[in-house]
Amino acid sequence: MMTRNFLNTICFIFLFLLAPGRFAFAQTVYVRGKVVDASDKQPVIGASVVLIDKDKRTVRGVSTDIEGNYSLPVSDKSLRLVVSYLGYETTQPITVGDRTTLNIQLKSSTKMMEEVVIRSNVKAETGTGMEIARRDMTSAISTINAKDIEDMQVASIDQALQGRLPGMDVAASSGDPGAPMQIRIRGTASINGAVDPLIVVDGMPYDLSIPSDFNFATSDENNYAQLLSIAPADIKDISVLKDAASQAVWGSRAANGVIVINTKRGAIGPPAISYNFKGSFSKQPGPVPMLNGDQYSSLILEEYYNAGRQFSSSEYAKEFQYDPNDPYNYFNYSNNTDWLNAITRTGLMNDHNFSIAGGGEKAKYRASAGYYNEVGTVRGTELSRITSRINLDYNVSNKIRFSSDISYTHSDNNSLYTSAVRNVAYNKMPNQSVYEYDIYGNPTGNYFSPIATAQGTYPGTYNPLAMAEAAGRRDIGERVIPKFALTYDILPKLLVLRSAFQADINNTKLKGFLPQIASGRPFIESSVNAADDLDGNWFTMNSNVSLGFTPNLNEKHNVISFLQFQSYDSKYTGQRLSVTNTASSYLSDPTIDGRTNFGGSAGSSFTQSRSLGLLFSTQYKYLDRYIINGLVRADGNSKFGPNHRYGVFPSVSGRWRVSGEPFMKALRKVDDLSFRASIGVVGNAPRYDYTFYNTYNNYGFSYLGTSGVYSSNMEISDLRWEKVTSTNMGIDLAMYKNKLRMTGEVYRRRTSDMFYPGLRIPGYNGYSGIDMNVGVMDNQGWEFQIDATPISKKKLRWDVNFNVSHNENLIREISRLYPRENNGKVTSNNVFKVFVQENNPFGSFYGFKYKGVYTDKNSTIALDKNGDPIIGLNGEQVYMRFAYPSINYTFQAGDAMYEDMNHDGNIDYKDIVYLGNGNPKLTGGFGSQVTYKGALRLGVYFTFRTGYDIINGTKVTTTNMSGYTNQSTAVLRRWRAEGDVTDMPRALYGTGYNWLGSDRYIEDGSFVRLKTVTASYDFSKSFSRRLGMKSLRMNVMAENLLTFTRYTGQDPEVPIKLTAFSTVQDYSTTPPIKKVTFGLTANF
Amino acid sequence: MKKIFINLCFLALLLSLSSCNKWLDLKPRDGIIKDEFWKTKEDVQAAVSGMYSSMLASPPGVGGRALTEYMFMWGEIRADMVDQGPGYLTEEKDIMDVNIVESNSIVKWDAFYRTINYCNTILDFAPGAKALDPTFSTKELNAYMAEALTIRSMMYFYLVRSFKDVPLKLTSTSKDTEIKNIGKARDSVVLAQIVTDLNTAEKWAVDDYGSNALNKGRITKFAVNALQADVYLWMEKYDDCINRCVKIIESERYTFLNPTAAWYTNVFYNGSSNETIFELNYKSANISNPFYDMLRGPKRRFITTGYVASEVFAPDEDDPARTFDVRSDFFGSSDLIIYKHAQEYPAFLNWQMYRLSDIYLMLAEAENYSGSPSLALTFVEDVREARNAVDATAATIGPVDADANSVGEYILAERSREFAFEGKRWYDILRFAKRDNYSSQYEGILRGMVLRAVAPSFQQAALNKYKDVNSHYFPIHQDELFADPTLTQNPFYSK
Repeated sequence: MMTRNFLNTICFIFLFLLAPGRFAFAQTVYVRGKVVDASDKQPVIGASVVLIDKDKRTVRGVSTDIEGNYSLPVSDKSLRLVVSYLGYETTQPITVGDRTTLNIQLKSSTKMMEEVVIRSNVKAETGTGMEIARRDMTSAISTINAKDIEDMQVASIDQALQGRLPGMDVAASSGDPGAPMQIRIRGTASINGAVDPLIVVDGMPYDLSIPSDFNFATSDENNYAQLLSIAPADIKDISVLKDAASQAVWGSRAANGVIVINTKRGAIGPPAISYNFKGSFSKQPGPVPMLNGDQYSSLILEEYYNAGRQFSSSEYAKEFQYDPNDPYNYFNYSNNTDWLNAITRTGLMNDHNFSIAGGGEKAKYRASAGYYNEVGTVRGTELSRITSRINLDYNVSNKIRFSSDISYTHSDNNSLYTSAVRNVAYNKMPNQSVYEYDIYGNPTGNYFSPIATAQGTYPGTYNPLAMAEAAGRRDIGERVIPKFALTYDILPKLLVLRSAFQADINNTKLKGFLPQIASGRPFIESSVNAADDLDGNWFTMNSNVSLGFTPNLNEKHNVISFLQFQSYDSKYTGQRLSVTNTASSYLSDPTIDGRTNFGGSAGSSFTQSRSLGLLFSTQYKYLDRYIINGLVRADGNSKFGPNHRYGVFPSVSGRWRVSGEPFMKALRKVDDLSFRASIGVVGNAPRYDYTFYNTYNNYGFSYLGTSGVYSSNMEISDLRWEKVTSTNMGIDLAMYKNKLRMTGEVYRRRTSDMFYPGLRIPGYNGYSGIDMNVGVMDNQGWEFQIDATPISKKKLRWDVNFNVSHNENLIREISRLYPRENNGKVTSNNVFKVFVQENNPFGSFYGFKYKGVYTDKNSTIALDKNGDPIIGLNGEQVYMRFAYPSINYTFQAGDAMYEDMNHDGNIDYKDIVYLGNGNPKLTGGFGSQVTYKGALRLGVYFTFRTGYDIINGTKVTTTNMSGYTNQSTAVLRRWRAEGDVTDMPRALYGTGYNWLGSDRYIEDGSFVRLKTVTASYDFSKSFSRRLGMKSLRMNVMAENLLTFTRYTGQDPEVPIKLTAFSTVQDYSTTPPIKKVTFGLTANF
Repeated sequence: MKKIFINLCFLALLLSLSSCNKWLDLKPRDGIIKDEFWKTKEDVQAAVSGMYSSMLASPPGVGGRALTEYMFMWGEIRADMVDQGPGYLTEEKDIMDVNIVESNSIVKWDAFYRTINYCNTILDFAPGAKALDPTFSTKELNAYMAEALTIRSMMYFYLVRSFKDVPLKLTSTSKDTEIKNIGKARDSVVLAQIVTDLNTAEKWAVDDYGSNALNKGRITKFAVNALQADVYLWMEKYDDCINRCVKIIESERYTFLNPTAAWYTNVFYNGSSNETIFELNYKSANISNPFYDMLRGPKRRFITTGYVASEVFAPDEDDPARTFDVRSDFFGSSDLIIYKHAQEYPAFLNWQMYRLSDIYLMLAEAENYSGSPSLALTFVEDVREARNAVDATAATIGPVDADANSVGEYILAERSREFAFEGKRWYDILRFAKRDNYSSQYEGILRGMVLRAVAPSFQQAALNKYKDVNSHYFPIHQDELFADPTLTQNPFYSK
């Protein structure tokens, strides 16, 4: 409805503008003539001849015929004639007056337009369309230009941003193609709500978030992500808005930061055609070395023996007996299979981008198309994508301009059926064969997927290769984003109206199939031939209208202000169908009836959310030195009930350019020295829709023929806006003709009225959780960035840059209903304790101190504080115990030894100490680039994170020696006999306390990574011209070549998902892969 | 022109703003909001149906165990007829070993209170629907109210038997501002409420819904009577119990089926038999009951104890030709698998709540303890005859020398045969043990049960724990104590 109003407004504007021209004169006179080439006097065919009015608005136009003739009706003598044609200079406007014949000679244009080169952006981009010079910005914004990411070979630009901008932490969730990146700007503002930053493309929000009730069927949220599907070649610049003063423009969805992306547009000139190719090979870094089949089998026997169990009588003993008289088991279970190797391959990527750009005075265009394909390093993973984008700008007249953009993306992503495949491959028993042997020992070529093995059954374990290749998920996405924008200078250089409307049509299909051969289960179970299909359709409309006012006062005063109205309306419809036990492993579509498509196998959902924003912003500059900016924003959001639907959020920021002061004049070297300060509030809306209604839903089945209805949620009438108040202080320094630029920021983001979904309430209410505003949380830290160009000669240019930031996350105040510690008992293996304490950062974990292994019985004697043996009541020797009296286990030789903090001879919860924290102290990146003769460029870029601790989850699972899980080769040094001195406890099947949460698994995750090494060469003009090109560039890039770290796990770059009780655990998902890319860019 | 244009702009803006509120007012399309519900008798019927459905499975999006799973576990795993199967969970083993802690998720009562809230919702809002729908008669309204009252009472009866003192919530929760801490009510208060509610329900409930399945699957007057008899027996009000049992028997609506091989198929597999008074109808809902994975599948969590095969259904050595007790046909005596609730996947077997045999045995128990052991014995014999019980399980008590204690023991044993794995065993044992304020000799029953059921290393500790009668009840789960600080833990667990 809002959009309809808005469209009506636009129609009105058109009517008013077009009306006068139409009705002014009734009498018509014609002007005729011939257009010829000025040099050879040959007719120019197809030249455009137009009549324009005083505002340069085209009134009428024709093309010349085959003889170069034209004829145009003239309604007004004041109209002027303009002739233009490609390759010729456009004529100056000629007033028609009383003339009826006008012959024109066109001069061929001598200067050919060069390719559009994007220079570093001097205007800061907040995405509002109001242009404020970068040097006048009052808030914290970081920008990266196309040049900097040009050489990066990435599928999605978020990958290119890794480590490039201070205050922005980007981490890969996995190295598989299509895996989402986790972006955090200045930490996480919400304890458990929406945490992803808002992305704004060409002034309009670009939704990457997944609607609250998006049903993942059997997939999980981490597996699914909307990629930022904009071809990196189309991007002009990217800015990150970090403080409230800049985010306020985007309102409620900006509370987690804003990333503003602008795409390239056409420029005046003949068509510039460009082709860009990238191709790469990629390889996974080596995994943690694991046991082979023999080592594994003997370990299992030892585990059983140590646990006092008899192995030979167990159901699965034959899998370890290597008995040649039982050929089926002998052949299938006497192997040395490297499961990880079996599911890994060399990755391949190729990316083609083609673009054409150009334009004249009236119209400018840029069109591009791209194809991207990546074959992942894990079998069964692949991403292919087609992108296309057209950006058109048209000047209707001096006063009216419009632009029409459309982008289309098709993506097809094949991913693993479950994200655990790699983990299962790590754990899989290595003596099992990949392919099945028959009872005579002949290989059958089929995947060996037994119903059960000693390790268990699906979903705990399975044949990883069968799971990777035969089962899978396919995610097919279509996204079309048309955008229309209009600018009208109501009063030139004083009052301007900008309006834009964008629709976003985003359709996704997720298909999953789990064939029998992958799970190995019998046909009566639902894990056999399970097919699901999910369609998710989003339709989003955004509009914004702004009125900019830039009064021209005098030299001393400068005012820029605008009033903006924004609307957002997003609908999501989802349909889901799933069946199991389809008749064949080739019937993978749920539209075919399966055996068990009863209750709950089909579903659909619909949600809609809307928001409105009205903001007024004014920036005032006095003497180019004192700048103050104020902004007030009113928000309305459909996710709140009538009581709390609207919120008003102000912000104010200022800048003092010290370098502009007279007393600084002496310091010639300083180009700019400014201090900035800002404070502002942004409101954040909850993730879920309709929570303020008490809603009744249907059960998926009927009871005795009547369908049942139940009250599905409580009415949440008290949910208020979550407020993020940011304070930011910044300093900018530019020296030596901008060759040295530094920016520093200190900030605090305070989240108050923090959302917490599902806060525990007494179960006797009939519901277990409720959404509430529960407390106050701070994110505070600092950032520093330095860019320098130490050498800037014609022949040689050297750039260096460095950025570093620090963020910490503190709970200041929290509801009583919020749990203070995580679930789980420290007396269970692999449990770390996490507490929520006011004024303490998140992510700290607690556990035991590991001291090694009891070498013999004597070493298990309990000692008191002075190191003397503790004597029992009856004067007997006391041995170390675990969790007396509840568990009361006496430690044996070969068991893990934990530090007895209170020297009471008993290891229990009283011996727990602080072990580490998962928050990085510093994150950032640095790099250097050398350009020789403007043609050869060499660059390196490093990223780093320091001072954070990782729980090495892979180490926990691969050294616990407590089950059938395959172990790493580190367990070969395990304790075996009395007197062995080692740090690896004995093998103990299904019992013991050898792998309690302790500092044994905590490792320093600090790393410095050589992220990229790039080299590029621009071929000389003469060379490329010989090839029929305007220019030609080649480049090579190597990624993730080296990582300097003390971390012993696979890779220290682990996504940090900080909720109150999360710890940073590394379970060795596909690590960032080593990759070499070759690229070629040709311009025609 | 410019002026007109600017004016138009502002006009458009103003118009938009005035319609903002309307524009932002979105309602869910995949659900009905409360203000639009409770308008007709059909709405009430849908809510009543939802109340029954909530006992079959957790509502979509809630997850967790189904209510019937709790009914099975609470009623069986503390007792001596089920043991841990290959897929058992530590929490279940802890309960079997009488090693119960307040963090054990099996003691969560959410599923029961969820259904209670649905009952309360009906009780609170159905009268409002009657005011709006002229075709909705008082009789129909009362019938629906009776169903809600009975189911609520049934839920509270489970809670009071499992936890003793529990929060008594009699109003619905539909809004965040209505949440209050209400603490615990004494068991006597809860039981008094149950008695009052059931008396009302008895007046209002329907005799006959017109179809066999409906008469078994929904609350009838006789289902109310059955629950009343059970409650009175628990409260040791034997006359009231006898009175309700007689009402059911005299109605002549229920008969024992013949003890042929088809008996199990008719009563359990097909369901809605002439024996059944109330059952939860999975068959009509066409959803799987939770018991396949629990009792039947390869990762079954529970199996029978050896005691069931050797003693409860002792084979008749003297007369091998004689047909066996029909009730021994639903568990494997060698693989110890319990087939009663799940034969194959998916399993649609109904959950039996009350059968005619229950009425006979409750009647026997009430008569026995109100001074007529020999009369009680005849009712037990009626049941045994109907089931073709073998001599090996018969008690050697003559009608003359019948005394309350030996007949009581016999009744308890007969109940274990009749209701094996139906979630009644622990409550039966507890009822016998606590009778007359634990003064009777039946405290020994607990001892026998512990020796049969608890792992040897935990037996001594278990016996010591059971000496404190508070240990016979579950602790309140720690999440509840945390969420409502006015709740006090069962004193046995707060030490």
